[in-house]
Amino acid sequence: MTRQSLTPMTKVEVVVTGDDLPALREVFAAAGATGYTSVANVSGVGHHGFHQGRLAFNERDALTLVITVVPDDRAEAVLAGVQLLLADRPGVMFVSDTSVSRPEYFR
Amino acid sequence: MTLAGGGGTARARTRIDVEVAARVIGPVWPLRSFIAVNPLDGLVEIGFDAAVAQAQRWLRARCHPDLGLLRAARHAGRITDDDLRASVLARHPSLGDDEVAAFLSELLERPVARPPAVPRTAAERCDERLGTHLAVTVDAMVATWCAAFVDEGAAAWPMPGRSEGLYRAWRRLAPHDPGLRRLAGRQARAELRHLSEHPEDAIVEALDDLGVPPESYRDELRGQLCRLPGWTGYARWREDWAPPDEPAPRFSLVDLLAVRLVHERLAVRAAGATPRAVVRAIHSQPVGQEPDDHAAVWLDAYERHYRDELLATMARPTPASSIRRPVAQLVCCIDARSEGLRRHLEATGDYETLGFAGFFGMAIRFRPLGATDVRAQCPVLVTPGVSIEERPIPGQERLAERHLARGETAAAAGSAFHAAKTGTGAAFTLAEISGWVTGAAAAARTLRPRRRVRAERRSRPRTAPTVDANADGLGFTLDEQVLYAETALVTMGLTGGFAPLVLLCGHRGRTTNNPHASALDCGACGGNPGGPNARVAAAILNRSEVRSDLRERGVDIPSRTWFVAGEHDTTTDTVEILDRHDIPPGLAGAVAAFERDLAQAARRLAAERVRVLPGGRVRRPAAHAAVRAHDWAEVRPEWGLARNAAFVVGPRAMSVGLDLGCRTFLHSYDPAVDPDGTALETILTAPMVVAQWINAQYYFSTVDPDVFGGGDKTQHNAVGGVGVLLGGGGDLRAGLPTQSVLDGDDPYHEPMRLLTVVQAPLERITAVVDRNDVLRHLFDGGWVTLAARSHPDAPWQLRCGDGTWAQWQPAVRGDDDMEVPV
Repeated sequence: MTRQSLTPMTKVEVVVTGDDLPALREVFAAAGATGYTSVANVSGVGHHGFHQGRLAFNERDALTLVITVVPDDRAEAVLAGVQLLLADRPGVMFVSDTSVSRPEYFR
Repeated sequence: MTLAGGGGTARARTRIDVEVAARVIGPVWPLRSFIAVNPLDGLVEIGFDAAVAQAQRWLRARCHPDLGLLRAARHAGRITDDDLRASVLARHPSLGDDEVAAFLSELLERPVARPPAVPRTAAERCDERLGTHLAVTVDAMVATWCAAFVDEGAAAWPMPGRSEGLYRAWRRLAPHDPGLRRLAGRQARAELRHLSEHPEDAIVEALDDLGVPPESYRDELRGQLCRLPGWTGYARWREDWAPPDEPAPRFSLVDLLAVRLVHERLAVRAAGATPRAVVRAIHSQPVGQEPDDHAAVWLDAYERHYRDELLATMARPTPASSIRRPVAQLVCCIDARSEGLRRHLEATGDYETLGFAGFFGMAIRFRPLGATDVRAQCPVLVTPGVSIEERPIPGQERLAERHLARGETAAAAGSAFHAAKTGTGAAFTLAEISGWVTGAAAAARTLRPRRRVRAERRSRPRTAPTVDANADGLGFTLDEQVLYAETALVTMGLTGGFAPLVLLCGHRGRTTNNPHASALDCGACGGNPGGPNARVAAAILNRSEVRSDLRERGVDIPSRTWFVAGEHDTTTDTVEILDRHDIPPGLAGAVAAFERDLAQAARRLAAERVRVLPGGRVRRPAAHAAVRAHDWAEVRPEWGLARNAAFVVGPRAMSVGLDLGCRTFLHSYDPAVDPDGTALETILTAPMVVAQWINAQYYFSTVDPDVFGGGDKTQHNAVGGVGVLLGGGGDLRAGLPTQSVLDGDDPYHEPMRLLTVVQAPLERITAVVDRNDVLRHLFDGGWVTLAARSHPDAPWQLRCGDGTWAQWQPAVRGDDDMEVPV
């Protein structure tokens, strides 16, 4: 398989608290994303210092990394929604070009 | 189907606008798992003062205790002028003596007024301008659709198309709604036939048609949601908190707003208003909300008095414990009601008691014997990872089958009775035919409560939870058992000094004919009885393989120690030992002696508790408590968690021998076994968060029962298993019923924000708080006061809003209180 045989798409990665996951899912659905992958209990250092990732009995206030891949023509909708969500909530978003082998899964 | 490009972008924006608009309203759990929650939880990040300003404006809520309550508290010595003076100076440190006196003089005279109502929606603005009643008309119509949509099996003819969501299901039926035709005229029918497919599009079209400029979308949406905060809260639960396999149809904020805005748009237009002009005119008016400084000072003084008393009491040396080796240990839930049981048990003999979240660290999905539904038995902050079923133990299978068959027969009879009761014509004849039977049965239930409970227990087969992983995908692996056991023991600081008997005691309420029954169960178990979690935890801790692995991890449970499961019925104050068949015969005598002392402690607690219930000054309090539990007409079986005020983290030595009046959540903690602060972090980010929700629910339900409370129980109508209405329709009522917080017209609950008291190294507490946003928001935003000391001999410190510590200084107690009418 060569890279030329893959289909270019946009990958959006978002780190939010568990509290904001439902809103993020709403944005993805409204923007036409067909799915996502989430990695619970991530931790790290940001401009507010160390953020605890894993809490024994509280998933709502732990951090989650959510990854979605969308065709380029849907990327703007995802980005607009996530930017609005993060306007007054903690979290970060990373956007990058990517390639997928099964484009029909993402349309 | 979703569209890419511009449509998708606009819809994504609308979804966020709706989500932000709804933050002023807290989620509302359905009745089957009703739990207390902070009604302003969505605004925790902006701090208490800013959050209540939002609630005052949008919900038109009173957010501080009213002056009558505060003056009565001052009259009773629960607030002194020294408290008030200290609170004024805390908020305004630059004031001189004369200015403080002037402030206090005004404070004591001026009432705490409800803020003026500012129109929030297009219909409200039309009503104000034109004298119409559009807003309440739209409320009633939309609420009726909501009730029809969420029905959970009560209706013989459910609303069609519910799987598509409220908006699409309603859109299909709307052209045939005679109410809408009356509201909007026949010409509206054509418009209703061509409504947008997507609720987001319908929202934006309606907002544009109503003349709302895009920069005011969120305000208009917030105003619309605040017309029906109960249904909005239910939608927030359904969207944000319901489990993925929730059987109830999806009920979303976007759908609710789309339905409401279409109604509103048609109503405003039919009223002949010129909405664009009206809306633009109103939206151009600035709407400010001045913070009520006086109300804040009163509240601070009220809390300060309680805080000073509690910290002063706990600063004194506690009576030296003479218990060297306790005969038994009792581990209760942190629930404030457990404090009384612990205190009275300790007074009967050589017992040690501990507090831990009542799910005992076992986040499970539990299916009781023969049940079709599965309960999430853990705090709602956690997704349960392990499924457990209750099954008959070997040799009890036939008895279990007979027991279940009896249950099915009773369920079938109940179902037939229910069908007859809800039938249009049958209901009247049913009352004539069956009234003499059902009335006698109800009377028997009420008058012979204990006999009924004993009979139920006798007929039950012996069962056990499926603790070990099995081929059905149920249960824990050994590694999971060890991990859960270690987490529970280390978090509560029970890593040594085990007594021969350790009773893990869950709790439950027991009431009859009470839609809010689950509010009296264990909040840490998701609003369910805590017995199943105690059974699972005890079974795990008795496994020799688990103990062997725990020993390698430094927790050595002696072989002579046995964990027993139990359940405290907080309504009748009885403690039931569960899974007796598991207890080694050699311990029968010790268990019997323990039970005798538990029964004595429970009787004393019942006497103390019943005395403060209206109508509770009786000669036989224990019997009276039992009657209240089974009386189908009793609106106040117990006070629940009313008067809760503080959350105490530390060893029992901090509070042993003190009567804390069932007002404190007590969580055991041993700083010595938690050097990296993991256990403290667990306690503060989970049990304390749940305690703060409970505290805030009681607070807001008391300070404004009309906005935040569940209303009068005698007027409740349960709707679709999701909530209650007052009377026959209208908004879902969230919050605690009036009878849970008020005694007649007077508050029984003392509305004050939570005080958290921790005994642990200050630098450890600071580190834990600083790395968790939720704790910073609660402690630094004015939702919770944090007091701490490093060790028993250290002075108390209070965490300041900027994250520093200041030594606690009680308000100076003088005798110069001013003469002001109360």
